[in-house]
Amino acid sequence: MARSKSFLRRVLRIVAVVAIMALLLTTAWSVYLDRVVTREFRGRLWSVPARVYAEPLDLYVGAPIAADDLEEELRRLHYRSGDPQAGPGIYRRHGGNFDLHARRVRFVDELREPQLVSVHAGSAITGLNNSDGTELPVFRLDPMLIGSVFPIHGEDRIVLSPADVPPLLRKGIKLIEDRRFDQHHGVDPLGVLRALWVNVRAGRVVQGGSTLTQQLVKNYFLSDEQTFGRKATEAVMALRLEARFSKEDILVAYLNEVYLGQDGERAVHGFGLGSEYYFAKPLDELDAGELALLIGLVKGPSYYDPRKHAERARARRNLVLQELAAAQLIDAATAKRAAAEPLGLRPPGGRYVPAYLDLVRRHLKRDYGEGDLAAAGLAVYTTLDPRAQAAAERSLAQHLSRLDAVSRVRDAHLEGAVIVAEPNSGDVVAVVGGREVGAEGFNRALDARRPIGSLVKPAVYLAALETGRYNAATMLEDAPIELKLGDGSIWAPQNFTHEVYGRVPMARALAESMNLATVRLGLDVGLSRVADTLQRLGLETRPTLNPSLLLGSVEMTPLEVVQVYTSLANGGFSARLRAVRAVLDEHGRPLKSFKVQVEAAAPPSAVYQLDRMLTLVTTRGTGRDAPTRLPPGTIVAGKTGTSSDTRDSWFAGFTGSYLAVVWVGYDDNRVTGLTGAAGALPVWADTLASLRSASFQPVLPELIEDRWIGFNDGLETTPACNADAVVVAVPKGTALPSHTGCGSSPFSTLPDKIKAWFKTTVH
Amino acid sequence: MVQDDRSLRKLCFALAAAIPLGACSLLTPHPPSGQPSSNQPSPGQPSPYQPPSPPPPARENHLSPATRSLVTQARAQLTNGDLPAASSTLDRALRIEPNSPLLWIELGRLRLAERDAHQAEGCARKALVLASGDRDALAQSGRLLADALRAQGRNQEAREVESQPYMLDRQVK
Repeated sequence: MARSKSFLRRVLRIVAVVAIMALLLTTAWSVYLDRVVTREFRGRLWSVPARVYAEPLDLYVGAPIAADDLEEELRRLHYRSGDPQAGPGIYRRHGGNFDLHARRVRFVDELREPQLVSVHAGSAITGLNNSDGTELPVFRLDPMLIGSVFPIHGEDRIVLSPADVPPLLRKGIKLIEDRRFDQHHGVDPLGVLRALWVNVRAGRVVQGGSTLTQQLVKNYFLSDEQTFGRKATEAVMALRLEARFSKEDILVAYLNEVYLGQDGERAVHGFGLGSEYYFAKPLDELDAGELALLIGLVKGPSYYDPRKHAERARARRNLVLQELAAAQLIDAATAKRAAAEPLGLRPPGGRYVPAYLDLVRRHLKRDYGEGDLAAAGLAVYTTLDPRAQAAAERSLAQHLSRLDAVSRVRDAHLEGAVIVAEPNSGDVVAVVGGREVGAEGFNRALDARRPIGSLVKPAVYLAALETGRYNAATMLEDAPIELKLGDGSIWAPQNFTHEVYGRVPMARALAESMNLATVRLGLDVGLSRVADTLQRLGLETRPTLNPSLLLGSVEMTPLEVVQVYTSLANGGFSARLRAVRAVLDEHGRPLKSFKVQVEAAAPPSAVYQLDRMLTLVTTRGTGRDAPTRLPPGTIVAGKTGTSSDTRDSWFAGFTGSYLAVVWVGYDDNRVTGLTGAAGALPVWADTLASLRSASFQPVLPELIEDRWIGFNDGLETTPACNADAVVVAVPKGTALPSHTGCGSSPFSTLPDKIKAWFKTTVH
Repeated sequence: MVQDDRSLRKLCFALAAAIPLGACSLLTPHPPSGQPSSNQPSPGQPSPYQPPSPPPPARENHLSPATRSLVTQARAQLTNGDLPAASSTLDRALRIEPNSPLLWIELGRLRLAERDAHQAEGCARKALVLASGDRDALAQSGRLLADALRAQGRNQEAREVESQPYMLDRQVK
């Protein structure tokens, strides 16, 4: 007896110890889960990402926006055709006349209330009026939302605040996914029992019976695997979450978190982004049918993927519509009408600009403390021009495919990068980081650091002009040269054509990118002076003073090339590149704005002389094909670049409106067989052709004048005298040698009227 | 309180800045023209690249109705002490007419109001280049440059700018 009693006691003690330990462990586990879930939820709830906007398009009389462009722009901004009186977001077009009900939008500098305007457009904007007929000098379209970034960890999301959630979505999602959401405490025992019953009968887990809270927890922390251990963890976490946060917070977090599909490599999370991705509209503009489609997707985003399985998606949408009508959230007539509608998906592709957002993120990181960026609800206003971005993407993709098709390389694809900027302000308007536009990953526009080849030559010639000892007509010696380098090796550069040109005027040596003449010029000017010039133009690190610098051994990213060429396109003023115009906090107050920053980088008169030579590159030289796709007569300045053995193909060029830099090459740095003119230039030409671009026509500086010289002999002449005459800019009063006889210097001093008369009689 | 102090100070700047701004009278009425800017040669005129160019004729820079209205708006924002908004409004104007010396002068005046004399100097030098051939615009650019240099304590350089022919020319008037 005694023995069995003590045995019983021992067993009881063990049971008690085990029970207490189990209780302790369970408590510790649940406390731990509570911590985890609370921390994560708080973090997510309060880290609302920054919304990122493109530059809004300004309309004014004379703006180079044709009627069709304007309509395309309105569609991009998700304005729909209809009766503008019915509400914001609607326009009506009759030929070139548009009546537009603009939405309420916040710009960097003001909050604009909805507004009715009339726009008249032909090949450009010809009229702009208020609804009362008064003239409107200038009017901005909405800034386009191009994405949202968590400035710190960089995910893309369009996060809704409670006020952004349409009532029908709020009620509809509960109806379809979790009817007892407002009653349960995170876990719905009735739901679980029902699921259990189904699962037991099936012998495996087929039904979740999960509440919205459980689904949210699963999305946050857990894998997709359906084990009972995982379900238990999920249940505890859901209970803890419900104990700590309001139903409202949980519902909104759920709507922001739920997985709704896949856009290439980007997971589409949340109804905000989902609305954008499937319909290209803000959530509050969706109708019942569109909302029903999104709600229906939650059950299985890939199974019901409306782009791949339209019929399944339609059936699912219509089922949701029925349920909504049965619960009297919509009336039967609406449900019936919506069920007959097409799915209304926007065409895929287009709007996602990861390479540009990458630059935005880096600029934010460079210019802000991380603490500033943690604030909720920031709005980032960028300088992106969606039209330029689309043009650059299209042009790069087309030409790389074309070049790949004729290439002998079969085991690799050509890659490329394009950056477009406005040189006066330094605004970066487009960034393409590779041919796969939608893919994140290696951003060649910012990170591919490659030898720039002949793109360096303008800096060599500018350094020469700055000394005052050279002008465009100065004769250079294009003759073989051998140099002993510091390491004892011999450097013997050659021209790309392997020819030798002898005595050539400076303007022609640059236009035809002669290596020998350039090396001799650069050595005469001095490597250190060339490096100085490069740095003043905007290169941040001092290049190594090696003679091969003169032929572009210096490695730069496309972005760095843009910074340097900005100073050439901007009359000698460097403009600091900017992608972010301003950041506003959630109340619309500016946190910080980035001003146009211009600084004198090189003497304007020397830069004018150089730029004039760069226009010869695109008329007589290696860049001849650059203007071919632009309207006839458009003046372009630019330079081709080809690194050793054609590993890198570059073109950098500018019009009066844009500067664009293009790089083409292989990621593994193999030989392309493409010169700058064959690879990068066509991409440049097509990009610029899609943008309305003014001629490059800088103001003639006071101390400079334009003169005619022979392109081959550098002697002063006239077109009447020498068919090969070109215009160069030289300091006023420069003595230029000239032919005796025709076009001699006494002629050039004749008054213009007599010259003109002479010209006409000679012809 | 801190907030109040700051906005009060801003207002003072703005008012101080508004006085010289009024004096440079960019908004003097000129014959109405549909041209965005007389700075860009119209198609009929010879472009600087149809050479050799005769000495550039005397030019006058005008603002288009669009940029004129933006300048008016920027000045109003400045007067209200909203310097960031004024800056962003002038950005818009510059996107429309990037080569107008008048807009760079306006921007430089704003930079002075922001107490960024260094950037004001950059704007002034840029305006000076663009103003080539336009005596009014040259004189205004020179005035701005001299002010920007003085604000940086570079009085000697400021005096040199003031003794330039294009400045003297104006002072006689």
